Amino acid sequence: MAATAIERAVPGHAATESRWTVRVTGPVLANVSDGFSAVLGGPVELHEGPIGLGGLAEEISQAVHGNGPQLVVAVDLDPDASGAGSARVVLPTEGAVAFVVDEAPEGSPPPVDLGPLPPGAYVVPRLAAVHRVQGAASPLRWVGDWDAALGKGRPAGRWGDITTDPPPVRVSEGAYLPKPRYREGRASRWRLVADHCTACGAVSFPSRGRCRQCLRGDRLEPHPLPLDGATVLATTWIGRGGQPTEFDAAVEASGPYGVVIVELEPGVRATLPVADAAPGEIRINDRVGTRLRRLYAIDGEWRYGRKAVPLGSPDGPGPS
Amino acid sequence: MGHRAAVIGAGHTRFGVLEEGPRSLVRAAVNQAIGSVDKGIERRSIGRGYLATLGFGGWQIGNASALLGEEAGVPGLPSARVENACASGGFALHEAVNAIRSGEAEVALVVGLEKMTDVSNARRRFWLGVSGDTEWERQAGLTFAGVYGLIADRYLSVHSVPRAALGAVAVKNHANGALNSNAHFQKAVTPEQVAAAPRVADPLGVYDCCPVSDGAAALLLASPDIAPRFTDTPIYIDGIGASSDSLAVQERADLTRFDATRRAAESAFRSADTERSKVSFLEVHDCFTIAELLGLEDLGFAGRGEAGALTLSGATARDGRLPVNPDGGLKAKGHPIGATGVSQAYEVFLQLRGTAGARQVPNARTALTHNVGGAGATAAVTIFSVG
Repeated sequence: MAATAIERAVPGHAATESRWTVRVTGPVLANVSDGFSAVLGGPVELHEGPIGLGGLAEEISQAVHGNGPQLVVAVDLDPDASGAGSARVVLPTEGAVAFVVDEAPEGSPPPVDLGPLPPGAYVVPRLAAVHRVQGAASPLRWVGDWDAALGKGRPAGRWGDITTDPPPVRVSEGAYLPKPRYREGRASRWRLVADHCTACGAVSFPSRGRCRQCLRGDRLEPHPLPLDGATVLATTWIGRGGQPTEFDAAVEASGPYGVVIVELEPGVRATLPVADAAPGEIRINDRVGTRLRRLYAIDGEWRYGRKAVPLGSPDGPGPS
Repeated sequence: MGHRAAVIGAGHTRFGVLEEGPRSLVRAAVNQAIGSVDKGIERRSIGRGYLATLGFGGWQIGNASALLGEEAGVPGLPSARVENACASGGFALHEAVNAIRSGEAEVALVVGLEKMTDVSNARRRFWLGVSGDTEWERQAGLTFAGVYGLIADRYLSVHSVPRAALGAVAVKNHANGALNSNAHFQKAVTPEQVAAAPRVADPLGVYDCCPVSDGAAALLLASPDIAPRFTDTPIYIDGIGASSDSLAVQERADLTRFDATRRAAESAFRSADTERSKVSFLEVHDCFTIAELLGLEDLGFAGRGEAGALTLSGATARDGRLPVNPDGGLKAKGHPIGATGVSQAYEVFLQLRGTAGARQVPNARTALTHNVGGAGATAAVTIFSVG
């Protein structure tokens, strides 16, 4: 769950390979460090332990003033340690803060009053709590665990609902993507980073550590592709029951899905699942955006990747 | 160039949802192939064996070729498994041709096999698509129906081809399958039924997709010099060609063309020293209806975007100018993955000897088989003649 929170906090913005320090409160799931590292795109130094509201405010304060962790992730705040009332934090005018409040009961006061948020600040509270954070209107960003439910009879407003269960330990009985290859490929998978070869000028995507044109591996530099505006070359819609087995949970949560091949730059293509669109809503020659979303779980690990969404699609149905 | 090898016998089990397990299927196909040799053959004269199989579901993933010797009744048979997904059979056939040509064996056995219907739905959907690009296409939630659905969508759009052209492939191949007692589906379908069928991977519907089938097929090859010892009517393999391409479709310059097929066809025609106008009929790899249209174009029998009109005109029907898949193709005959390439050659063996019964193509003298692995990542083309 904590890794999910970070993904909500920094969708597509974690292009750095630098070291991150992350303060996590509450219970931490196994492998959470890997999860942060994968999402943030760099090694993570994790500090964990229980914390109350007052302590959380202090952590955030240190984070935003550059003396503490770069990200603060609060999971399961300890109400007994919180002290009375809410804490107030003064934010600087720039920088990013990830802040997660776990399931505050309906009608409870804002757990932390952050005041007006500066540009670039990402406040990512959980569910109902989001609506009660003052000034949280404009800069909210989400990354949904699953996609908007398109099927009939599913409750509205569950977009981006968080799955708090650990990933199922389902083992592939056939094709699978080895963990090392998944992790090596995360820059391409999550942020659409290609390899640009400075020897011959070709762009290779997805990255495999070697130029597809001149076959050299020693002159590659990261080449971020545009995350929005790709052109659709081909579409299909996978009927219910036609998905690979590892996608069963996604279909259960969000219904059948489309798949597109898009051109990100001239000659550079990606095959992406479609989110937030019904059959026929995305066609050849349309322009689409991309979003980081959960794909499936295998061998006890969540797998994420970018999905194509209609251009101008909101990041989610939260306050806008 | 002359003949590279002679086919002296062939066998084929029923394709479909079968009770038999893999060993029984191999045994049945091999026994039938041996029994089909006109002047008889001693089992011990078989010098090499090749088993084409994906090993669907995880059955005997390693070392499966050892059972060839056991089930063929040839103790100690030097054998190897050839795995190139749906093109395993075509590539195994080429290996056998090369074993004959090198002098390594005077007689070689090729068996194609797949057992697909006995696994659970969940395991089957883990396995379908294992031969696609697992590192990217699979992560987008695609099996092969989805990959070919994308290709079909692009093809219909770029070439302004009506979806009815895909349906025409299904209608034709089902009509042919209805005359094949080994076919998985032996029932004709109407264009209306095809058009109304539920979509599997839009624009492909149920009738655009080959079924999941069990089955096996076997061929006996001999060097052309000694073929008359076994039969007075051998069928000759005159040309072989093969190629490969990127695993992922997204990495190819053109989404509606399989360059592996194009290169394989060019080398096959070059090695056979013949031309397209000489070909009496084709066995085209039609795992999905769109694949038969691409195959016709990539093999050089139709211009880009013109295979749909060719099919709608009836030219590829059994009584047309260029019959395609007289046995029903993968579409109606079924597609037990490793068996398919061998099964295509089995049909050629019947047709070129004039023993195909109700589905006989008149005056068939030269034939071409086209066997594709995945969505065009590997391709094997073979040209046969009556000599």
